[in-house]
Order: sequence, then C-alpha cells, then structure tokens
Amino acid sequence: MSDTPITPPEDDDLLAAEMALGLLEGEDRAAARARLMQDRDFARSVADWQERFVAMTDDIAPVAPPAKLRRALMARLFPARQVPLLQRLWLWQGVSVAALATVAFLALPMLREPPMQPPAEVYATRMAAEDSALELLAVMDMSRGDIALRRVSGDAPAGRVLELWAILPDRAPISLGVLPEGEVNRVALPADLAPEAAQITLAITDEPPGGAPGGVPTGEVMAAGAVAEL
Amino acid sequence: MDSDREEIERLIAKVAMGDRAAFEALYDRVSAKLFGVCLRVLDTRAAAEDAMQDSFVKIWNNSDRYQANGLSPMTWLITIARNTAIDRLRATRKGHQDIDTPGLELAAPGPSPEQSAVAASEAKRLTNCLDDLEADRGAAVRGAYLDGDSYADLAQRFNVPLNTMRTWLRRGLMALRECMSV
Repeated sequence: MSDTPITPPEDDDLLAAEMALGLLEGEDRAAARARLMQDRDFARSVADWQERFVAMTDDIAPVAPPAKLRRALMARLFPARQVPLLQRLWLWQGVSVAALATVAFLALPMLREPPMQPPAEVYATRMAAEDSALELLAVMDMSRGDIALRRVSGDAPAGRVLELWAILPDRAPISLGVLPEGEVNRVALPADLAPEAAQITLAITDEPPGGAPGGVPTGEVMAAGAVAEL
Repeated sequence: MDSDREEIERLIAKVAMGDRAAFEALYDRVSAKLFGVCLRVLDTRAAAEDAMQDSFVKIWNNSDRYQANGLSPMTWLITIARNTAIDRLRATRKGHQDIDTPGLELAAPGPSPEQSAVAASEAKRLTNCLDDLEADRGAAVRGAYLDGDSYADLAQRFNVPLNTMRTWLRRGLMALRECMSV
C-alpha cells in the first residue's frame, strides 16, 4: 500500500470522469474498477459525473417501444409458467413426498403437452377430513379442463356413493358428479368454473346411490381440500 | 418533477423486493425514454431493441443495489441504458471492454441520492457548459458519451496524437466541471 503513488484529488476526479465516459482501457481501467469497489470518494466522483453527463440525454425524445418488446422481456424474466410440471410438483409444499409422487403420476398425461405450448395453470390438493379414512389427491389441469383424482385410502360407506363438489365463496356447492369405482378417475371441470379455479375447494360427500337428490349435498363431508397452484 | 422522482424511486424499491407488477409499471413509465436513448446510440432499431431488453434485465437483477449507488433514479436507469447500448455498439469494434455502471459492478457504498454532490440544477447546466467549451472539446465529450468513442477514435477524428487527445479532453472536463459548479 505504501508504494501506491499519491495522486492529487484533481486527477482522481478526472479519472472518475473518464471512467463514467467509458474512456479508460487496459490497466488504467482495471485499476479504476478496483478503486470503484473500495474507494467511497472515488465512487462518489464517478456517480457525480454520471449525474452531470446524463443531461446530454435530456433532449433525446422518448420513443414508444413496440409491444412485442415488452412481451419478450417479461417472458425472458418471468419464465415461471415454463417450468416443467414435475418441477412445480416438487416445489409444492402441500403434501408429503409419497403423496407428491402420486400427484406426479396423475399429472403424467399433462407432461406430454407439446413443449412449445406454454403450460396452462395447474392446481392440486389433498382431500381429507377428520373422522374419515377417505383420502384423495386431485390435480386440476386447466388446459384439459378436467380433474384427475387418485384415491389413496378409504371408501364409500356401504350402500352409499361418493360425490364430488366444487365449493366457491358465496355460492351453493356445485356437483361435479358421482365418483366412479376405481383408484384413478378423471372428472370434467365445467368451463364456467375455470376463471375461479384458484378459489375452488374440492369436497366429497357420501350420497344415496345415483347421487345427491336435486343436486344438493345431503351426506357427510368425507374429504375436502382447497386447491393450490403448482 | 419531485413527485415523479419519488414515484420512480418507490417503484425501484418495490422491484428490489421482487415485485413483478412494480417492474411492469416501471417499464411502462420509463421504457420510452430508455428506448430513445438506445436508438440515439445504436444505428439499427433491432440493436436498440436488444439493448433495451438487456437494460431492463439489468434493472430487474440489480434494483436491490440502487439505493447504494448515489444516483438519482432516472440517472441510474438512463445510465444503464446508455452503457448497455454503448457496450453493444463497441462489441463490434476491436478490443472491446464493457463500461461499468454504478449499482451494477460498483460495490463501494456511495452517497444516497439526496447526498449527491451534484444537484439536478447543476446537471441541467451541462448543455450550456458544453456549448461554452471550445467546439472541438464539447464535441469530443459528446462523442465519448453518446457515440461511445474511445480516445483512439477521438484522436483519429480530430487528427491529433493519442496523448494530446487525452490531455485535451481532460482540460475540457475540468472546464466543464468548473462551469457547472458556478
């Protein structure tokens, strides 16, 4: 440090100006860069010159950039929608690893979407309830407009059937139909529910054979879960 | 004008927190000015579009360091656009080196914008002071800032040896600083 040549402040400030203009090259530039990182006064000098020089842009008229530029920029910075679905599943904190594996299995058909097509929104939930052995995993895929369901455990009480409902704020439960037998099912999601998909809570009640009379749930809620976006 | 500055500062602060909506609002507010600057520096529209996109990527990635760089918000934004455009212009030339922008590479904590020694009113005098310089010197400062000319480019343009050019321009900068601080 002691053999660093002492430069008068005057020269420092001109060096800062050259730095701001981008005129320094080679070793001079490397040395000035290093000072910029450590020397507060020098950094201030450079900033002061930037502040002065920027006035040269005052009379440059604004030009509205094309809209495609904005779209390209946002797509470049925020590619979240293009994250593969499996990755989104692993990031989802809602359920256990084992449950995630099942959801991933349910979502497999969705993974075969053409890669260039931006993946649609996907929501998932684990449906369960206290005092009930019934547990299901559900994945709502907005691009297909359906809900994939996998029954993890439990069954309908003897002589009853399981009916799936979409619950939305300030609305009567909307029946999505009686669940067929079998471990994995797909149920259509009415298109008019799509705009409110993020707010849906899925629920299952036990109903008489044929389903709830009049489309109004009559049985116990055996499992429920609010969807979360993947 | 002050409320404009406060609003842009507020947006940058929110962008620093990863607020995407604030970033889009900031883009809508300043992109036309930044695009104008990129178009001024670069010859082709396509190059200007690329430079502006790169500028906004830098703004998004470095907004958390804005507070430490001591620049007013518009100066910071325009300087990023100007430096990015000049870097792109120079990339086609030999021996290209990127320009450093405070708040990007610069790490030394600078003054807060309020503490900056250069008041906005002082900066406004720049244009007059440039015009007061001997014509060639004013043109050289403008050439370096708006056209990305190096000392070698300037020496060639004014037909003087490199060292003479540097001495010459530095005298011009001293005169400029003096004129602006009066």
